[in-house]
Amino acid sequence: MMNIKITGMMLGMLTAATALFAQDNGHAQTNTHGFKRILEHRILAGFNFGGTAPVGLPNTIRKIETYRPEFSPSLGYELSYRKTKKWGVAVAVKLDYKGMFTKDEVQYFPTIITTSDGGRFEGDFTGKNETTVRNACVSFPISLVYTPGDRWRFNLGGYVAWLFSSNFHGNVSDGYIRNGGSLGEKVNITEATFDFGTEVRSFDAGVQGGAAYRVGRKLSVDGNLNWGLRPIFPDDFKGMDFPLYNIYMTLGVTYKI
Amino acid sequence: MKIRKLYYLTTLTILLHACIKDAPINPEADIETFTIEKKYLTADIFIDQANKKIMLNLTPAAFKSGVTPVITTSAGASVSPGSGDSLHLDSSRVSEYVVTAANGNKKIYTVEFGGMGIWKWDFETWLLQDKDKYQYVEEHGSSSFWSSGNPGIALSGVKKDPMEYPLRASSDAYHGKSSAELVTRTGTALSALLGIKLFAGSLFVGVFDSRNAMTAPLTATQFGEPYSGKPLRFVGYYKYQPGEHYQDKAGNIIAGMKDSCSVYAVLFKGTTRLDATNIHTSDRILATASIPDGGPRTTWTRFDIPFKTVQPYTGTEKMMMAIVASSSKDGDTYKGAIGSRLVLDSLEIVK
Repeated sequence: MMNIKITGMMLGMLTAATALFAQDNGHAQTNTHGFKRILEHRILAGFNFGGTAPVGLPNTIRKIETYRPEFSPSLGYELSYRKTKKWGVAVAVKLDYKGMFTKDEVQYFPTIITTSDGGRFEGDFTGKNETTVRNACVSFPISLVYTPGDRWRFNLGGYVAWLFSSNFHGNVSDGYIRNGGSLGEKVNITEATFDFGTEVRSFDAGVQGGAAYRVGRKLSVDGNLNWGLRPIFPDDFKGMDFPLYNIYMTLGVTYKI
Repeated sequence: MKIRKLYYLTTLTILLHACIKDAPINPEADIETFTIEKKYLTADIFIDQANKKIMLNLTPAAFKSGVTPVITTSAGASVSPGSGDSLHLDSSRVSEYVVTAANGNKKIYTVEFGGMGIWKWDFETWLLQDKDKYQYVEEHGSSSFWSSGNPGIALSGVKKDPMEYPLRASSDAYHGKSSAELVTRTGTALSALLGIKLFAGSLFVGVFDSRNAMTAPLTATQFGEPYSGKPLRFVGYYKYQPGEHYQDKAGNIIAGMKDSCSVYAVLFKGTTRLDATNIHTSDRILATASIPDGGPRTTWTRFDIPFKTVQPYTGTEKMMMAIVASSSKDGDTYKGAIGSRLVLDSLEIVK
């Protein structure tokens, strides 16, 4: 269902973009403001802040003790086309690291761990959890761009991303797991590690949008929110009983070349 | 700067979604403690949480008069009959305690009484554990006299199949239809995370305490059941075939090293069980009997070992007897050979 939505959305974006380009061909002479349609090139650089997180915390998460972004640079190139003075489209290719570290406390947290040797363990965990996420991907944002004046530039669109390196690991400690569920026997855990890195899906897609404010002749500061709409783990992954999404804000600069 | 406002707005949106919700209502329904005055007991009470059993070993007088246990449960749960209600013991009736969790979950515990009855076993009746699908022995109407490492191995994500567990029934029997088969197996992907690359087959008189299976596995195997009198000999039949490659804890093969089995009985005083950390060293040990070498035996071999007294005793004090068998002698430190196979049948403690 989600996939259909995403595909639909991406298709919509693409149609809008192509329409703009196409209109350009058909109505080359209709521009009344004497604005010269131009291709613009920009280098994008920044850092991603945010989380690989559920949308709405489940009640099994009781406390978030620590959160910090991991070192998550973002670097890319954007090609934009301004059809009119105010409206245009942009496509970009970016190398994005998205990462975070959290330390939290959970209660009766259901988990099912399946292993490569065909093993399976199901239980409810109560205790402390630390998770480090650091995923690297190549992403392709596509946007409608609105430039109301001299300083501001807004964009809204979607993105698709392919993962080329993933880390999703951590440990659970100072707690217990109940074998099979909340009525199962209690097994104390002082510390145990987990690594779900290989389970992370290699394809992500979502919506993105933001604003840039020009601070120099060619330099702007830029903020862009990237909200993944595809859970990062496949449906058959039961390490957590709720979906996680990549929700990251890129803060950085753009340099027009 | 407006960009800042935008950032704050975004952050706020995320945070709004991310509010910590109200705590879930407690779904747990454990009997956490079940206490009876020690003078009425011949063994410390054990609550088998994995199989929802409360195991009581009472003195004959207490059995006759009934006892009044003090019970504590998971927070917010209630228990019926309640704490402080007396338990009148009618051997024909199964006593049950129903625990209702704060969220309405129910868990039923059965009270099982240990007897100081017959110290002779033929391993003919095997039951299948519901949830994790491992086999366990029933002897003389009690399924909680013999235990094994199986409940611990169940936590390591093995396939839910009796043959995946290192202790199981075998039709290769000396007497009757079945025997106890102990086979050392490889660890699982999950156990490897804890540094466990090998599980030895084990069978012992006592109980398995799952609570510490991961944190202190050597204390999870609780050895011993109440015993009275003076044992003379430990008798039985066994076969043993060591696996081909002996490996150390890290999983490295050690050339030239042969695996061996261990089968022994330990009589000790008190009502508190010994475990794998102190079964050979406790100062409570009164007498022991152990097969002299754990080498290969391709055909059924009888052993008949007299008990060696370690310290003088009368045989009338409160005592416990443990019998411990393993398909890899150093299995407690995760060393041995994959495939080592020990088969046991017709065991007896002769008085």
